[in-house]
Amino acid sequence: MNAVLVTVMLSIGLAVIVVRRRSVGILLLAAQSLALGVIAIGLAGGHSGEFLIAGVLLAKAVVLPALLYLLIRRTPEASLVLAAAGPIVRLAAAGAAALCAVLLVPPLGLGAPHTEHAAFALVLVGIAIVVLRRPILFQLLGLIVAENGLSLLAVSVPGGLSYVVEFGALFDLALIVTVAAAFAQRIHTDLGTGDTELLRGLRD
Amino acid sequence: MTELVPTLVVLVPAVPVLGMLLALLARSPRQADAAAIATAIPTAVGALVLAAVALARGGQPPLRGHWYLIDGASAVLLAVVAVVGLCSTLVSPTYLRTGGRSWTTAARSHSLYYAALFLFWATLLAVPLIGNLAAAWLIVEATTAASALLVAFSGRRDALEAGWKYLLLTTLGLSVAFLGIIVLAIGQANAGHHDLHALDWHALALAAHTMPRGPTLIAFVLLLAGLATKIGWAPVHNWLPDAHSEAPPPISALLSAALLPSVLLIAWRVKDILEPSVGTATTHAVFIGLGLASMLVAVPFLWRSLPWKRLLAYSSLEHMGIIGLGIGFGTPLAIAGVVLHVAGHALAKALGFYAALPLLRIQPATASRAPEGVLGDSPATATAMGVSLIALAGLPPSPLFLSELLILLGGFAAGDVLVSAVAVVALALGFLGLLHALMESVIGDQGRRRRRRSREERPIVALTAILGMGMLACGLAGVLLLPGSGFVDALARGAL
Repeated sequence: MNAVLVTVMLSIGLAVIVVRRRSVGILLLAAQSLALGVIAIGLAGGHSGEFLIAGVLLAKAVVLPALLYLLIRRTPEASLVLAAAGPIVRLAAAGAAALCAVLLVPPLGLGAPHTEHAAFALVLVGIAIVVLRRPILFQLLGLIVAENGLSLLAVSVPGGLSYVVEFGALFDLALIVTVAAAFAQRIHTDLGTGDTELLRGLRD
Repeated sequence: MTELVPTLVVLVPAVPVLGMLLALLARSPRQADAAAIATAIPTAVGALVLAAVALARGGQPPLRGHWYLIDGASAVLLAVVAVVGLCSTLVSPTYLRTGGRSWTTAARSHSLYYAALFLFWATLLAVPLIGNLAAAWLIVEATTAASALLVAFSGRRDALEAGWKYLLLTTLGLSVAFLGIIVLAIGQANAGHHDLHALDWHALALAAHTMPRGPTLIAFVLLLAGLATKIGWAPVHNWLPDAHSEAPPPISALLSAALLPSVLLIAWRVKDILEPSVGTATTHAVFIGLGLASMLVAVPFLWRSLPWKRLLAYSSLEHMGIIGLGIGFGTPLAIAGVVLHVAGHALAKALGFYAALPLLRIQPATASRAPEGVLGDSPATATAMGVSLIALAGLPPSPLFLSELLILLGGFAAGDVLVSAVAVVALALGFLGLLHALMESVIGDQGRRRRRRSREERPIVALTAILGMGMLACGLAGVLLLPGSGFVDALARGAL
């Protein structure tokens, strides 16, 4: 069950780098976060604290996409932002990053190599999304995809990672996403679009 | 005095949080300024007392509590963050009065600026105190949100670009570092240690000898790669020149003099605790590689005719490289140099950024081009810029002259002759670049200009005097205390 969900999470991460519409990207992120929450429930093993973390992860699957949906309502794009590279190239680059994770990451001691590889691959795919996608919202989605990879590894730690650390990391993520949303709105107001390609004034 | 430590450890980060709330409650810009200054003074005094208590212990074991750990490096950094935070708060009313537009409405700009500043300062003060790797990561991550807003405070397009780049790159970098922390947590969990304290610096140091090399090496590389992004080490330094040059000058001072060395302290501790498992050769190579790369990347930019704050930003890249190099050498001489360099660089760089406040009033165009002949416009501003540049270049009696000498001698003592020789060349080129900037920007063509009234120059005169004396005191402390002291030996041993 978990192996299937982990694969689903990774596949969704790869899909985020391909899709064109911001709303579809947000829906994919919600689905990925939901899969993460279900995995966390499965791993909770009757511990109330771990169930609480799984509950927070499920809440994240609703709250963050809702915040991002509000953001795209407030920052309408007249037309789709042109991509710097085509979807096949982007997918190939993200796929190569994921493959690197599978090939290079040695056993970490979880006893679940599939989860270990997928978590590392998700972080790399998140970074690839940030690098390869021009719209500001997709860069934000890339950050959250990478954070989902971290959460996947964190909930898989035997006995669980400390609650303080897991809640703290989720709080930090919420803070970062809120600030990033404020940036996105302000940049859209200033440029009339969320195309980060236009933010290239600072060069030496 | 040590009985005061647990109370001070709580109060030092808590008072600026209170300051943040007071700033948000202020009904006018004047009230916000007053609340900020009233909070900043006790915060700095508390932090300096705590630092003094820890420094007075010399080479004794670090002060440890349930969730804090204060060793000599923490104490020096705490003092640095306290002084720079206080000075940045004191010059902020001038910036807010004269700095032009802001992201928010004029009525709320003071309150929101101080709220973000105090949140940023509180997190910076907490980093050197915290006794746990994961908690330190959480705090560093929290610095990002507050400081990104401050970087983009002016709301100008370039500032938004710099703030966005900073937010995105440092968050991604810290995600990579967190991956390393989780890998360490897996190792600790497999050894039967599950709770938060399994990631205490002390617990990790005790467990390091039994950690398997493979996963620990992965954790070390991930942690260093991630933290390097936030420290601004080359080749992951892209955000640094943009953020430092676009942020308000008091915030640039905090970013360069306090944030970068705070994250560097975490990297240093990671090296100390994981070295027994990863191997000295590996940690040595990683730190020296990152340090030398940063110096070599920075030098060509120090030769270019850049806007003042951008020049200082590249100087930060160079100096973080020097500190990384010193930590990599790891000999007592080099570590003495590192401690002195952190303090001396902070004071010199902060003064440079504070000098940007009057400079941007005198020559507004210097926001986007190099200044020219500032001495003709404002001798006081030119003096501040000159003192900062001379100190950063490492010209005696700058404490950075002594610290760089100690680091290089430490490198030769460690047997890293080639690396030390390359570092000598890079330092010499950087020195000449900054001297060139001094001649062109500060002295340069002074004709035709109107001198400023002396009253406008009083704040920068006072700051130059105070920070200049601070630098001389650092140099003196370096001569008298550091080499061969128990304090430095304890740091060189990495006793956490």
